[in-house]
Amino acid sequence: MREWLNSLRLRLHATWRRRQLDQDLRDEMAFHVAMRQAQLGQAGAANPGAEARRRFGSTARIAEELRDRWALMPRLASLARDFRYAVRGLGRHPGFALVVVLTLGIGIGINTATFSIINAVLIRPLGFPDPDRLVALQEDLAGFSFGGAPFSPPDFIDLQREQQSFEAVGAYRSVALELSGTNEPVLLDAARVTPNLFTVLGVSPHLGRTFRPEEERQGTDVAILSWSLWHARFGGDRSVLGRTIVLDRRPYTVVGIMPAAFEFPRPGPQINNRRAELWVPLAFTDAQRVIRGNEFIYSAIARLKRGTSVEAANAELAVQTRRINDRYPPGLKGAGFVIGLSAVSLHDEIAGHTERPLLLLLVAVGLVLLVACANIANLVLSRAATRAREVALRRALGSSRGRLLQLLLAETSVLSVAGGTAGVAIAMFIVASLPATVAEQLPAARSVPIDGSVLAFTAGLIVITSLAFALIPLAAAERGAPGRTLQEETARTTPGVRRHRIQATLVVLTVVLACVLLAGAGLFIRSFTALMATDAGFNADRVLTAAVTLPGPGYQSAASVHAFHDAIFRQASSLPGIRSAALATDLPLEAYERRTLAPEGFSLVTSSPRNTNLSWTRGPYFTTLGIRLRSGRFFTDAEDRGHRNVVIVNQRLADTFWPGQDAIGKRLRWGLDVTQNPNPWLTIVGIVDDVADGPLEVEPYLHAYEPFTQLPDFMLENFPGSFGRDVKLVIRTNDDPRALASPVRGEIARIDRSLAVQSISTMSEQMADAVAPKRFSALTLSAFAGGALLLAGIGLYGLLAFGVSERRREIAVRLALGAEPAKIVRLVVRQGLTLVAIGLVLGVCAAYAVATTVDSLLYRTESHDLVAFGAVPVLLAIIAVAACLLPAYRASRVESITALRAE
Amino acid sequence: MGSDTKPADLLQGTLELLILRTLAIGEKHGYEIAEWIHSASAEALAIEEGALYPALHRLELRGLLTADWDVSANNRRAKYYRLTQAGRRRLKETIESWRRTSTAINLVLEAN
Repeated sequence: MREWLNSLRLRLHATWRRRQLDQDLRDEMAFHVAMRQAQLGQAGAANPGAEARRRFGSTARIAEELRDRWALMPRLASLARDFRYAVRGLGRHPGFALVVVLTLGIGIGINTATFSIINAVLIRPLGFPDPDRLVALQEDLAGFSFGGAPFSPPDFIDLQREQQSFEAVGAYRSVALELSGTNEPVLLDAARVTPNLFTVLGVSPHLGRTFRPEEERQGTDVAILSWSLWHARFGGDRSVLGRTIVLDRRPYTVVGIMPAAFEFPRPGPQINNRRAELWVPLAFTDAQRVIRGNEFIYSAIARLKRGTSVEAANAELAVQTRRINDRYPPGLKGAGFVIGLSAVSLHDEIAGHTERPLLLLLVAVGLVLLVACANIANLVLSRAATRAREVALRRALGSSRGRLLQLLLAETSVLSVAGGTAGVAIAMFIVASLPATVAEQLPAARSVPIDGSVLAFTAGLIVITSLAFALIPLAAAERGAPGRTLQEETARTTPGVRRHRIQATLVVLTVVLACVLLAGAGLFIRSFTALMATDAGFNADRVLTAAVTLPGPGYQSAASVHAFHDAIFRQASSLPGIRSAALATDLPLEAYERRTLAPEGFSLVTSSPRNTNLSWTRGPYFTTLGIRLRSGRFFTDAEDRGHRNVVIVNQRLADTFWPGQDAIGKRLRWGLDVTQNPNPWLTIVGIVDDVADGPLEVEPYLHAYEPFTQLPDFMLENFPGSFGRDVKLVIRTNDDPRALASPVRGEIARIDRSLAVQSISTMSEQMADAVAPKRFSALTLSAFAGGALLLAGIGLYGLLAFGVSERRREIAVRLALGAEPAKIVRLVVRQGLTLVAIGLVLGVCAAYAVATTVDSLLYRTESHDLVAFGAVPVLLAIIAVAACLLPAYRASRVESITALRAE
Repeated sequence: MGSDTKPADLLQGTLELLILRTLAIGEKHGYEIAEWIHSASAEALAIEEGALYPALHRLELRGLLTADWDVSANNRRAKYYRLTQAGRRRLKETIESWRRTSTAINLVLEAN
């Protein structure tokens, strides 16, 4: 204790007078050297000054050590010194440092990027208060595959009124609204919401107010703007509150601005999933409120009462299901209209479907990081071997194990921190360059932030990696007694068995991991090629499309809609450079309307009801898009112009109802097969190929096409939303379709100056967008697998090259004793390929076991696809042989004399 | 220094013992300590000169030595070390334990 106090007093004093201490240390050593120099000079030495300095050793290093002793906290000082040494030492081996930092940077970078996506999508809360109490309500219609499980208005109203489990239940629907009057007219993604939706979500506006309960009636023209729209179109001007804007040619009063972070609806669910830029009230008409079995298109969300669980709510919904079903007219019930209500957490509804692919991606990049770590451990190990003598010497001189670990940790943590920093930069780059089509589909907030939890994740990776790199060489170099290492290092012929075994294990590990990644990438590439080879049923070459939506108020009457059709069809058809032009409500790769269908002569009471997609066309739609006719004919001009009650169906529809028969001339009608069905019978005049009506990997649905003129006027005039007012113009051109984009814009403006053009794009672009996510996953996984393969190759090369340089002596002796160089090559190659073979066997087994987990993500590809699995050993073998040959060649060229002398 | 015999490696504990023993004669600066050990051992022991100072400072911080700056014989500023009370005690203990150990080792070496 006295001793410690005394030492503390001295160190305090020295710290107080730091400059004096430095001066004293310098003086003391300079004095010693001067005395020695004088003595050597008298003894007649040739260069007494240099000799004196040589005998003393590095004054700078000793001064540093002494300064540490006098520091207030000697351990910290020595730590700082270790870091300085580490940086300096790495500076002397820039190649080593660069390879480690880059390898680690890439490994950490892709992990950080992946985690930041997972963080944004799965971990970060939705951004609504108390998100655990938010649920998405679902109404399923047994036997009908409407998809997305949305609500029919009367059912929603009953549930809203009678339920006990929720504080509030709100409904919404994604719509497109034309904003005109300011600048150029635009079509905006918007949402019609019940006024209480904002209460359900628990958000307050940034400015102004949200909707009032009394605004839930037809004709209340108030609107709430999103932050981005407020800034993009109104310059963030506060005076926009109370101002009138024109939506779908009708004046609306702006009553509120939502905060920047507010996003609703979100992508993720199958329907009503477009991020809205503005919100208007949703109110049902009297007819909508009472007619059952219609319009299953509204989504509903609710906030659970405090203390009510999702299970309890579902129990109540089961009761509500029975009550609502009792209210359905018997005819509808008999025809299969049986509903089922349920609730799932809003977070699962939005993000649930992305969980599996994202976690899979995280596993993949985790494997890449593991490979990178194994490789770096190998590099550090090789470097540690060359430093083994230094380590052993320090041990012999009494450095404690802890002190040595500190030294190694200092070096590896410098590397890891540099690698981690590079990683964060790489992650930022990756996140910033995510393809827009992929980013759009993330159900998370639009941005993928590198926030606190992401950085914590990266910091964790850095700590783990630096510990791993420090401990592996320590374990390898330190297990043996220092004496043995010293002996081995001075007169060795072959390297330490232990270190060699660890390095070999690491190489096998990298090969195994590379195998798994390669097999995975192979499967995804196979799946993607299968997807690209799918016949989409139409020809996307040289087809330009333009989309507009006719706003209800400007096009109140059916006659005005038809007049627009006539005008745009006539003008587009007469554009120079076109082969044909047509109009439709929807294009391939999308679906418009899904209806219940009653084929003549079928009893739907006994068979389950069928739904079919329905498109309305005008002009030579099929020839323009290159959709092949299977039998019958296309619509005639007369049919295109008048009500002839004809329909064209796809092959799948024909096969479903009339398998093995000719469907031409058969009849069908919309609605249920009940006597009171007012819809006319339609005669099938043509059968066409199945055309992709959504993601390419999904089988096309049943599909029917009708001439647009057959659309009843009352549907156009009385149906809510933009039903029937969506116009897609398709033009097949002789040359580059993009050249026609601006003439088409001009023609549309000539007909209606204030009509917003939603989009102009080529069909090929839409195809590319449709497969972009699949292309992205195939590409990223291939990049990861390629990286892992490269790392495995580098690891193998490093091990063999290092092994050869260590065994120069042995090889030289063998060569001197007359061994054939070819035999030496075989020796080295055999050593390398043995490791690869072990890794390959284990890796293919591991990949085989892992492959089943991706089964559901593959398209027309077996999870144990022979081509994908067959390519793995071939690729690995090529890389392995390449990695073995160079060191082997070097080995065979070892010059006996120089090698033996080198030791 | 002209000796052909390879000077024995000095182990850490031994170096401290030698320093303490050297200073038992009287105060000395670093160079004198190195020279005295060299000549007193009949030139058999040559301590690594740089390694002397960390040992001196360690002993000083532990309170076994104390040091003062003074002017040397050739009129230069030099740091003189001398034993403290604690230093003398430690020297005595260490010598005793050294003797015990070396007697024991000698017994082993001469046993047959």
